[in-house]
Amino acid sequence: MDQKQDSNVSNSQPEILMAKDLRKSYGPRQALQGLSFSLKAGRVLGFLGPNGAGKTTSIRILTTMMEPELGHFVVDGTSSEHPEEIRRKIGVLPENLGFPRQMTGIEYLTYFGQLYGRTAAEAREYGWKLMEDVGLKQRARSLIGSYSHGMRQRIGIARALVNDPVVVFLDEPTLGLDPRGQQELLSLIQRIARERNAGVVLCSHALSEIESVCDDVVILNRGQVVAQGSVSEVIGRVQQSILLGSALRVQVPAVSFAKARIILKAIPAITKVSPIGEMEGWLRMEPVESVNGDASKAYQINNTILSDLIRNEIPILSFEVEGGRLHDVFLHLTEETIQ
Amino acid sequence: MSALQTTKDRRVTGSGPALSAWRLVFIRELTDMWVGGKALVLIFIYTIFLSVITYVIASSSDLSLIPPKEMVYETIKNVMAVSLFIGLIIGADTLSGERERNTLESLLLTPSSRRQIVFGKFLAAITFWPAAFIIAIPTFKVLSQGDAIFSQGLFWGALLGTVMVLGYVGVGMLASFWSNSNKTSYFVSLGIYILFLVPAQLPGTAQTGAMGQFLQWVNPIAAVNHFLSKILVNNIKFSEFWTWLEAPVGFTLLVLGILFLYAASGLRLEEGRASKFWSRISRAMGLTVIAGLMLLSSASPAAALQTVTDPEPLQISISMESMTVKASDSVFFDTVLTNNTTEASPTIFVAMNIINLEKAGEPIDPEDWSPQRTQSIDSLAPGESVTLSWRVNAILKGDVMIYMVAIPQPNGQNVTSNPVASPGIHLTVTPFTRLNPGGVLPYVIGQPLVVLVGIYLLNRLRRRGVDSGGSD
Repeated sequence: MDQKQDSNVSNSQPEILMAKDLRKSYGPRQALQGLSFSLKAGRVLGFLGPNGAGKTTSIRILTTMMEPELGHFVVDGTSSEHPEEIRRKIGVLPENLGFPRQMTGIEYLTYFGQLYGRTAAEAREYGWKLMEDVGLKQRARSLIGSYSHGMRQRIGIARALVNDPVVVFLDEPTLGLDPRGQQELLSLIQRIARERNAGVVLCSHALSEIESVCDDVVILNRGQVVAQGSVSEVIGRVQQSILLGSALRVQVPAVSFAKARIILKAIPAITKVSPIGEMEGWLRMEPVESVNGDASKAYQINNTILSDLIRNEIPILSFEVEGGRLHDVFLHLTEETIQ
Repeated sequence: MSALQTTKDRRVTGSGPALSAWRLVFIRELTDMWVGGKALVLIFIYTIFLSVITYVIASSSDLSLIPPKEMVYETIKNVMAVSLFIGLIIGADTLSGERERNTLESLLLTPSSRRQIVFGKFLAAITFWPAAFIIAIPTFKVLSQGDAIFSQGLFWGALLGTVMVLGYVGVGMLASFWSNSNKTSYFVSLGIYILFLVPAQLPGTAQTGAMGQFLQWVNPIAAVNHFLSKILVNNIKFSEFWTWLEAPVGFTLLVLGILFLYAASGLRLEEGRASKFWSRISRAMGLTVIAGLMLLSSASPAAALQTVTDPEPLQISISMESMTVKASDSVFFDTVLTNNTTEASPTIFVAMNIINLEKAGEPIDPEDWSPQRTQSIDSLAPGESVTLSWRVNAILKGDVMIYMVAIPQPNGQNVTSNPVASPGIHLTVTPFTRLNPGGVLPYVIGQPLVVLVGIYLLNRLRRRGVDSGGSD
């Protein structure tokens, strides 16, 4: 996959954001209890956590909108003690960003470009380029008040890029968008990281988005980091404790569904085979209890299932272990809080 | 930390001179305000108000009641009162409005200095004042009726209006700085406006005496009004009355000092400054100042007590018993004052009194009805009589009683005299109206129309550079 190749390349990149032991409290409540992480250029970092985990506080601190009580961070060599310098190097799309309804898209970008020190002509030229990048060139001269929600999100991202930032913070950028809009925006986010060689911090509740777009992930719970690393590392690390003995899922074509069900039921290590709700073609299998915690048995069952289906010429569309997704890891790590 | 490397210098550097942040914010805010923004609406409302005030004042003038000087003074006073209100409203929206609309964060995320952002917004917020004053100039011109008061009024109105508007926009912005929503900042600003305006509108009796004078002096609006009335109406020299400008100038400097030297640098997403200690101190100080001012403004000058002693016989008669006239007519009559004693009288003051018979004898201020509120006679020999001529301008329709009171000057500090009242003149005033008093009607109608046309043209100009595409 291109993305993976790109990720490997970006592993050699320098760290452009480093946070060290950031702490913040609101009265007796500790919102952040020592946040530390780093981000490399060209990579997308997913910032996860249940409500109240400290995500917004973290973003506010890292974007210089709030001061930490303890700790510090560095953006591209500039320490958090110089917030104005930091602001020159970051781009931010805050959650619920408001827009001046009476400005056109290009006026909006030109204005912010100038606030970052560009001349009017340069800011306008760069604004046009950004409008093209985010797919809004045709609507550049329309009032922002006439933009749809998706278009506003895109111009919000364009605004976050007017200063060619080293690190881009995007807080819930796909919130309220339709599936096509979400997909377009996620592609745009990946392009920002790859083509501009910028680090992207992506805050989102949509875990499938994080999994598909992000290279790294930080999971916060109650103001503390409960997991961090590359997405595959985090999933793999947690997987060890939750995956072995978990249920399995397989997707086959509708015409082969009944046949596949009979074949799977015949496997001795499988106790139960059942269709999954309204998910067409999906079957869920529960392994025998003796598999629980035994890695070699678990892997053997996976292979048996696949080989039996292949031998009977049943096409396999998908195969996964329950608990093997970021979604499952997130729920596992934040279970107590969510409950 | 040593592992940290700089990827590349991405700091944006322009090839030519870039505008400073305050100028950019100023231009942006100016456009927002004046192209389809709130300033146009407020200016239109202001123009309507100005037209109504002009018409009312001109109608009164048409009844020969108010000389041009007073008309211009009254108009300047009203123009300033409304402009200060508009200044507060605009100022109160600058920061809390952006917080409410979620647009402040993107501005604060830029490397622009907070102070420059506040300064740019402040400059834009005060731009309504030149517009409001320019719109009022034709009104001053027509009301001055060729009097030199026109140029004096322009000078002092522009100068003092500017001083006050700077202060009031600053107050609005401070309220906005410490508020998270426009609802709060508007409420606080309105409270401050009323606090300063109400004492200035109190009747003359509440503004006399040492305390009354002090209250006027310390209240910026009252002080400016008092100063203007003395300079414009009573022709008093600036050198004799400049101390009345200390409070307005001091008020404005104080407000701007707090805004730019203390508050502006701490502008943030949340209301107020980050320091809880200073926030609490500021609130406590604000409440103390408000409470103090309210306490001061509620105080009224004490009335002096007097004791009555020896009476002195005088007789005063009047040349008319009753008359029916139309509003705006003038009534002329004489009073005859006779000294019936065997000694020369002291100085005698004759004062005119008018009461409204339709409103349970409610007194009418003779100052509004007559150019001769009082007359005096140095002394009357024993048995001597003197005739005094009077003129009354019937202003409003109604049933009134006019009578005179002769008051001998008391002989010393601890004695009084015996005032004598004349028979009354029962005056019935029937209504009279004129459509175009003082020729102001074209201005009264024309000003709002011109502003409307201006609004239309600005919107049209704006639409030229904008595509009208709908949302997708």
